[in-house]
Amino acid sequence: MKESVGITIPSHPKYLSVVRKTTDAVGKLYGLPEPDLEDIKLAIDEACSNVIKHAYGGDETKKIVVKYTITKKRFKVIIEDSGFKAQIEFMQGRSLNDVRPGGLGIHFIRRVFDGLKFDERKKKGNRLILSKTLQVKE
Amino acid sequence: MNIELSEYKGKKIIALSGDVDMHSSPVLRDELMVLVKKKVPALFIDFNKVSYIDSSGIATFVEGLKSMKSYGGRLQFFGVPPRIMEIFNFSKLDKVFEIYGNIEDAFNS
Repeated sequence: MKESVGITIPSHPKYLSVVRKTTDAVGKLYGLPEPDLEDIKLAIDEACSNVIKHAYGGDETKKIVVKYTITKKRFKVIIEDSGFKAQIEFMQGRSLNDVRPGGLGIHFIRRVFDGLKFDERKKKGNRLILSKTLQVKE
Repeated sequence: MNIELSEYKGKKIIALSGDVDMHSSPVLRDELMVLVKKKVPALFIDFNKVSYIDSSGIATFVEGLKSMKSYGGRLQFFGVPPRIMEIFNFSKLDKVFEIYGNIEDAFNS
Protein backbone atom coordinates (compact mmCIF):
# COMPACT_ATOMS: atom_id res chain seq x y z
CA MET A 1 0.00 0.00 0.00
CA LYS A 2 1.22 3.50 -0.85
CA GLU A 3 1.15 5.90 2.09
CA SER A 4 2.22 9.53 2.32
CA VAL A 5 3.14 12.02 5.00
CA GLY A 6 3.69 15.72 4.35
CA ILE A 7 4.80 18.80 6.22
CA THR A 8 4.97 22.47 5.30
CA ILE A 9 7.63 24.63 6.90
CA PRO A 10 8.54 28.33 6.63
CA SER A 11 11.71 28.87 4.61
CA HIS A 12 13.69 29.84 7.72
CA PRO A 13 16.79 27.74 8.53
CA LYS A 14 15.57 27.22 12.09
CA TYR A 15 12.90 24.88 10.71
CA LEU A 16 15.46 22.52 9.17
CA SER A 17 15.59 20.73 12.51
CA VAL A 18 11.84 20.08 12.15
CA VAL A 19 12.46 18.50 8.74
CA ARG A 20 15.19 16.28 10.22
CA LYS A 21 12.99 15.18 13.12
CA THR A 22 10.09 14.47 10.78
CA THR A 23 12.32 12.51 8.41
CA ASP A 24 13.65 10.54 11.35
CA ALA A 25 10.12 9.74 12.59
CA VAL A 26 8.88 8.74 9.11
CA GLY A 27 11.96 6.62 8.47
CA LYS A 28 11.64 4.80 11.77
CA LEU A 29 7.93 4.27 11.23
CA TYR A 30 8.70 2.50 7.97
CA GLY A 31 11.68 0.62 9.33
CA LEU A 32 14.43 2.25 7.27
CA PRO A 33 17.82 1.02 8.50
CA GLU A 34 19.72 3.45 10.75
CA PRO A 35 22.77 4.22 8.55
CA ASP A 36 20.51 4.93 5.57
CA LEU A 37 18.21 7.06 7.69
CA GLU A 38 21.09 9.28 8.84
CA ASP A 39 22.13 9.79 5.21
CA ILE A 40 18.53 10.47 4.17
CA LYS A 41 18.10 13.09 6.92
CA LEU A 42 21.24 14.86 5.78
CA ALA A 43 20.20 14.72 2.11
CA ILE A 44 16.73 16.18 2.71
CA ASP A 45 18.21 18.86 4.97
CA GLU A 46 20.61 19.78 2.16
CA ALA A 47 17.81 19.89 -0.42
CA CYS A 48 15.74 22.22 1.81
CA SER A 49 18.82 24.37 2.52
CA ASN A 50 19.28 24.72 -1.23
CA VAL A 51 15.67 25.89 -1.58
CA ILE A 52 16.25 28.59 1.07
CA LYS A 53 19.56 29.70 -0.44
CA HIS A 54 18.89 29.44 -4.16
CA ALA A 55 15.15 29.21 -4.95
CA TYR A 56 14.20 31.80 -2.32
CA GLY A 57 17.49 33.74 -2.29
CA GLY A 58 17.53 33.72 1.51
CA ASP A 59 13.94 34.94 1.92
CA GLU A 60 12.82 33.33 5.18
CA THR A 61 9.11 34.08 4.81
CA LYS A 62 8.21 31.60 2.06
CA LYS A 63 7.05 28.01 2.29
CA ILE A 64 8.63 24.64 1.65
CA VAL A 65 6.53 21.51 1.32
CA VAL A 66 8.16 18.15 2.04
CA LYS A 67 6.18 15.02 1.20
CA TYR A 68 7.30 11.49 1.96
CA THR A 69 5.85 8.49 0.13
CA ILE A 70 6.83 4.93 0.78
CA THR A 71 6.02 1.71 -1.01
CA LYS A 72 7.54 -1.73 -0.67
CA LYS A 73 10.21 -0.89 -3.22
CA ARG A 74 10.80 2.86 -3.01
CA PHE A 75 11.15 5.71 -0.57
CA LYS A 76 10.24 8.93 -2.32
CA VAL A 77 10.56 12.50 -1.09
CA ILE A 78 9.09 15.48 -2.93
CA ILE A 79 10.33 18.96 -2.01
CA GLU A 80 8.33 21.85 -3.41
CA ASP A 81 8.86 25.59 -3.38
CA SER A 82 7.49 28.63 -5.19
CA GLY A 83 10.85 30.32 -5.73
CA PHE A 84 13.19 30.86 -8.66
CA LYS A 85 13.66 27.96 -11.04
CA ALA A 86 16.58 25.80 -10.03
CA GLN A 87 19.61 26.14 -12.25
CA ILE A 88 21.29 23.05 -13.62
CA GLU A 89 24.44 24.00 -11.69
CA PHE A 90 22.55 23.00 -8.57
CA MET A 91 22.85 19.43 -9.78
CA GLN A 92 26.63 19.53 -10.11
CA GLY A 93 28.45 20.53 -6.92
CA ARG A 94 32.18 20.90 -6.65
CA SER A 95 34.75 18.19 -7.11
CA LEU A 96 35.44 16.54 -3.77
CA ASN A 97 39.13 17.12 -4.46
CA ASP A 98 38.62 20.86 -4.85
CA VAL A 99 38.59 21.82 -1.18
CA ARG A 100 36.70 25.06 -0.64
CA PRO A 101 33.61 26.17 1.27
CA GLY A 102 30.31 25.08 -0.33
CA GLY A 103 29.31 22.66 -3.08
CA LEU A 104 28.99 19.55 -0.92
CA GLY A 105 25.22 19.44 -0.45
CA ILE A 106 24.46 17.84 -3.80
CA HIS A 107 27.00 15.08 -3.12
CA PHE A 108 25.19 14.26 0.13
CA ILE A 109 21.91 14.07 -1.81
CA ARG A 110 23.24 11.91 -4.64
CA ARG A 111 25.03 9.65 -2.20
CA VAL A 112 21.79 8.22 -0.81
CA PHE A 113 19.08 8.89 -3.41
CA ASP A 114 19.44 7.00 -6.69
CA GLY A 115 16.71 9.09 -8.31
CA LEU A 116 16.93 12.89 -8.46
CA LYS A 117 14.94 15.04 -10.87
CA PHE A 118 12.99 18.27 -11.13
CA ASP A 119 9.39 17.92 -12.29
CA GLU A 120 9.34 19.98 -15.47
CA ARG A 121 5.54 20.17 -15.42
CA LYS A 122 5.66 22.56 -12.47
CA LYS A 123 5.24 26.05 -13.90
CA LYS A 124 6.13 28.22 -10.91
CA GLY A 125 8.80 27.20 -8.45
CA ASN A 126 10.39 23.79 -8.19
CA ARG A 127 9.31 20.26 -7.44
CA LEU A 128 12.35 18.15 -6.65
CA ILE A 129 11.67 14.42 -6.63
CA LEU A 130 14.13 12.26 -4.74
CA SER A 131 13.77 8.51 -4.66
CA LYS A 132 15.63 5.65 -3.12
CA THR A 133 15.25 2.01 -4.06
CA LEU A 134 14.69 -0.09 -0.98
CA GLN A 135 16.06 -3.57 -0.42
CA VAL A 136 13.00 -5.82 -0.58
CA LYS A 137 13.02 -8.33 2.28
CA GLU A 138 12.50 -11.91 1.13
CA MET B 1 23.94 24.31 18.92
CA ASN B 2 25.76 25.60 21.94
CA ILE B 3 29.28 27.08 21.93
CA GLU B 4 31.61 27.15 24.92
CA LEU B 5 34.92 28.94 24.75
CA SER B 6 37.72 27.91 27.09
CA GLU B 7 41.49 27.48 27.27
CA TYR B 8 43.67 24.42 27.68
CA LYS B 9 47.31 24.93 28.58
CA GLY B 10 47.09 28.42 27.13
CA LYS B 11 45.39 27.40 23.88
CA LYS B 12 41.88 28.26 22.78
CA ILE B 13 39.17 25.61 22.67
CA ILE B 14 35.71 25.84 21.15
CA ALA B 15 33.46 23.10 22.54
CA LEU B 16 30.36 22.58 20.43
CA SER B 17 27.22 20.72 21.31
CA GLY B 18 24.07 19.94 19.34
CA ASP B 19 23.41 20.40 15.62
CA VAL B 20 25.72 22.45 13.39
CA ASP B 21 23.47 23.32 10.46
CA MET B 22 22.51 26.21 8.21
CA HIS B 23 20.75 27.88 11.13
CA SER B 24 23.55 27.61 13.68
CA SER B 25 26.69 27.75 11.52
CA PRO B 26 26.63 31.59 11.12
CA VAL B 27 27.01 31.85 14.92
CA LEU B 28 29.93 29.43 14.79
CA ARG B 29 31.45 31.39 11.92
CA ASP B 30 31.30 34.62 13.95
CA GLU B 31 33.11 32.96 16.87
CA LEU B 32 35.73 31.44 14.59
CA MET B 33 36.38 34.68 12.76
CA VAL B 34 36.89 36.63 16.00
CA LEU B 35 39.72 34.23 16.86
CA VAL B 36 41.06 34.18 13.30
CA LYS B 37 41.25 37.97 13.28
CA LYS B 38 43.32 37.76 16.46
CA LYS B 39 45.54 35.29 14.59
CA VAL B 40 45.43 32.66 17.32
CA PRO B 41 48.23 30.20 16.53
CA ALA B 42 46.16 27.11 17.40
CA LEU B 43 42.48 26.51 17.87
CA PHE B 44 41.03 23.24 19.17
CA ILE B 45 37.47 22.23 18.31
CA ASP B 46 35.85 19.76 20.71
CA PHE B 47 33.36 17.68 18.70
CA ASN B 48 32.43 15.28 21.49
CA LYS B 49 28.90 16.62 21.88
CA VAL B 50 28.17 17.44 18.24
CA SER B 51 25.14 15.44 17.14
CA TYR B 52 24.87 16.58 13.53
CA ILE B 53 26.71 18.57 10.87
CA ASP B 54 25.63 19.59 7.37
CA SER B 55 27.43 21.16 4.43
CA SER B 56 27.09 24.69 5.83
CA GLY B 57 28.80 23.61 9.06
CA ILE B 58 31.55 21.94 7.06
CA ALA B 59 31.90 25.04 4.85
CA THR B 60 32.37 27.16 7.98
CA PHE B 61 35.28 24.98 9.08
CA VAL B 62 36.83 24.92 5.60
CA GLU B 63 36.71 28.73 5.57
CA GLY B 64 38.16 28.86 9.10
CA LEU B 65 40.94 26.46 8.17
CA LYS B 66 41.89 28.41 5.04
CA SER B 67 41.93 31.68 7.00
CA MET B 68 44.12 30.18 9.75
CA LYS B 69 46.50 28.58 7.27
CA SER B 70 47.04 31.98 5.63
CA TYR B 71 48.96 33.11 8.72
CA GLY B 72 50.37 29.73 9.72
CA GLY B 73 47.73 28.88 12.32
CA ARG B 74 46.41 25.39 13.06
CA LEU B 75 42.81 24.30 13.37
CA GLN B 76 42.65 21.00 15.25
CA PHE B 77 39.62 18.79 15.85
CA PHE B 78 39.22 16.17 18.54
CA GLY B 79 36.49 13.83 19.81
CA VAL B 80 34.82 13.57 16.41
CA PRO B 81 31.85 11.14 16.67
CA PRO B 82 31.89 8.21 14.17
CA ARG B 83 28.92 9.50 12.17
CA ILE B 84 30.57 12.89 11.63
CA MET B 85 33.91 11.23 10.89
CA GLU B 86 32.14 9.22 8.22
CA ILE B 87 30.88 12.46 6.63
CA PHE B 88 34.41 13.92 6.70
CA ASN B 89 35.72 10.71 5.09
CA PHE B 90 33.09 10.81 2.34
CA SER B 91 33.87 14.49 1.68
CA LYS B 92 37.61 13.68 1.59
CA LEU B 93 38.06 16.22 4.36
CA ASP B 94 39.60 13.70 6.75
CA LYS B 95 42.82 14.39 4.83
CA VAL B 96 42.35 18.16 5.01
CA PHE B 97 41.39 18.72 8.64
CA GLU B 98 43.72 17.81 11.52
CA ILE B 99 41.69 15.25 13.47
CA TYR B 100 42.74 13.69 16.79
CA GLY B 101 41.16 11.25 19.21
CA ASN B 102 41.37 13.50 22.25
CA ILE B 103 42.66 16.86 23.38
CA GLU B 104 45.98 15.47 24.64
CA ASP B 105 46.72 13.91 21.24
CA ALA B 106 45.87 17.22 19.57
CA PHE B 107 47.95 19.20 22.04
CA ASN B 108 50.99 16.92 21.68
CA SER B 109 50.92 16.84 17.88
